[in-house]
Amino acid sequence: MNRFRRSRVTDPKIWLALFCAFVSCKSLAQEEIVILFVEDEATTDERFWYGASLGVAEANVQGQFLGLSYRLERRSAEVPENADDDVAIAMIAAVSSENLTALAQWYAPRGHPVLNVSLSTDALRTACLDGVFHILPSDRMRADAIGQWQSANPGAAVDAVAWHPDFIRYAARDLNGRFRERFGVPMNSESWAGWAAARMLAEAAVRARSREPSAIAAYLRDELAFDGQKGVAHSFRDTGQLRQPLLIVAQGQLIGEAPVRGVADFTELDSLGLARCP
Amino acid sequence: MKMDAGLLAMLVMAGPAAAQPTERLFVTNEGDNTVSVINANTLEVEATIDIGNRPRGIGFSPDKSRVYVALGDDDAIGVIDVRTLDVLDTIPAGSDPEAFAVHPNGNLYLSNEDENLASVLDPGRREIVAEIPVGIEPEGVGVSPDGTRVMVTSESTNMVHVIAVPENEIVANILVGARPREVAFTSDGRFAYVSSEVAGEVTRIDVADNSIALVKSLQEIDGVKPKGLLLSPDERVLYVSTGRANQVAVLDAETLEIEHAIPVGIRVWGIALSADGSRLFAANGGSNTISVIDTASHREIGTVEVGDMPWGVVIDD
Repeated sequence: MNRFRRSRVTDPKIWLALFCAFVSCKSLAQEEIVILFVEDEATTDERFWYGASLGVAEANVQGQFLGLSYRLERRSAEVPENADDDVAIAMIAAVSSENLTALAQWYAPRGHPVLNVSLSTDALRTACLDGVFHILPSDRMRADAIGQWQSANPGAAVDAVAWHPDFIRYAARDLNGRFRERFGVPMNSESWAGWAAARMLAEAAVRARSREPSAIAAYLRDELAFDGQKGVAHSFRDTGQLRQPLLIVAQGQLIGEAPVRGVADFTELDSLGLARCP
Repeated sequence: MKMDAGLLAMLVMAGPAAAQPTERLFVTNEGDNTVSVINANTLEVEATIDIGNRPRGIGFSPDKSRVYVALGDDDAIGVIDVRTLDVLDTIPAGSDPEAFAVHPNGNLYLSNEDENLASVLDPGRREIVAEIPVGIEPEGVGVSPDGTRVMVTSESTNMVHVIAVPENEIVANILVGARPREVAFTSDGRFAYVSSEVAGEVTRIDVADNSIALVKSLQEIDGVKPKGLLLSPDERVLYVSTGRANQVAVLDAETLEIEHAIPVGIRVWGIALSADGSRLFAANGGSNTISVIDTASHREIGTVEVGDMPWGVVIDD
């Protein structure tokens, strides 16, 4: 597996890049920031990769004004890599439960954030893994959203998801439009999770003014107020779960949002899922 | 009727440049593609104009003879005669124009929301004279009173792009809180205020060096989503509409402390202020109304029913 190499903060190019984060330095050669994208070896599921790719492309729009560029490096979880080629700031993991556990055990103690975009398992949240961040809603969050909806609509057969391609409220119309224009397919929850992970890593690097993986992890954990284009800021719980609104779906059709109006206020994101570590 | 010579002289001398204000409010109704025209004194709806698809940004020409309306789904700017209410023109304006500011020279600096562009439109020549690449989802545009600076927000890139005029080039890019929506300059051009909707804060920018002078969270207002910004005539107070927090916040313009929070309708965005500062009008997109606020008592004193999803409001007074 790859190892992150610590950035050399004595490198004058890095200081210049950090300075240029706050004034426009058009003459500066682009500083490159690498984000790993790790997937299962045998996967054919492109949805997460599409989302992460769009996220990095959008981060590069901001980056051009800051003298920064981001690159998403695609890796398979099982393939051994050369150890000395990485300066990645973090990893986006679209992997199976077994692979996520292995990645978390290797990287988290070393302060390198792992962003889980594929698994909704509650056990991963109750484990409260330091340095591991969960982007998709947990199964419990979904159940709570469905429960809220059903308390207002008894007997309704619904599901709760992170995203839906027909969502147009807030800035969802714009994001769905950008995704569909780029890939020719609808944006679903998995793609939104990949997009969100990439965008929030760029956000962390810029606002924390750092490429240090531990600084990225600390920013995500303690300061992130992320615009997931669902109307309110998303932030992380101490469980590592991203707080967020959910969308209510019936037979594939978008019918509402959670927290559900009349049951909980739209700001009460902790009404969905495990609010804090046990 | 016999006419006094002095009065006659005044009438002869008064030309278009001295035209009396129409004392009208103009409101864009994003959801039904109309503009509502309201008598600002009687609060009667005088007319509802079919204007074109997805009207949002609205503003006056420098001489206030025309109302411009951004028509996002028509890729155009609609032009209304402020007096006759005729739709005079629909000018191609690039893709998805959302909002704009009218420069003292008459050009419109507008945001093309789905193109990551700010465009400069000469409405007389019906021509886009410049296009400036900005961040993702550009929206709010503000012009400094001396016309040398235009600021454009990019909502998804979380930046304010500072454009020098007449060069029409970006000279600075300022990172602000998440989802910046509007820009408002002080009358002396020294400062610009920016609302950040998802971050729930207002930023004051020092225009001289493009630095951030102050950032203030408004999150003591539950669910606050800052959008519209307006200074009072004496510039002691900054009015901020708060979206689905359903209030207009009244801030000390210097400290940005919240002095009052005035309950209005649902999803309040566009705001306009009478010239004397006594009346604030707020567009409630979720209630389909305009709230009328008495600024001295900080209370809503009436509402006017308008079209579907009112977005922006301006006043000719």
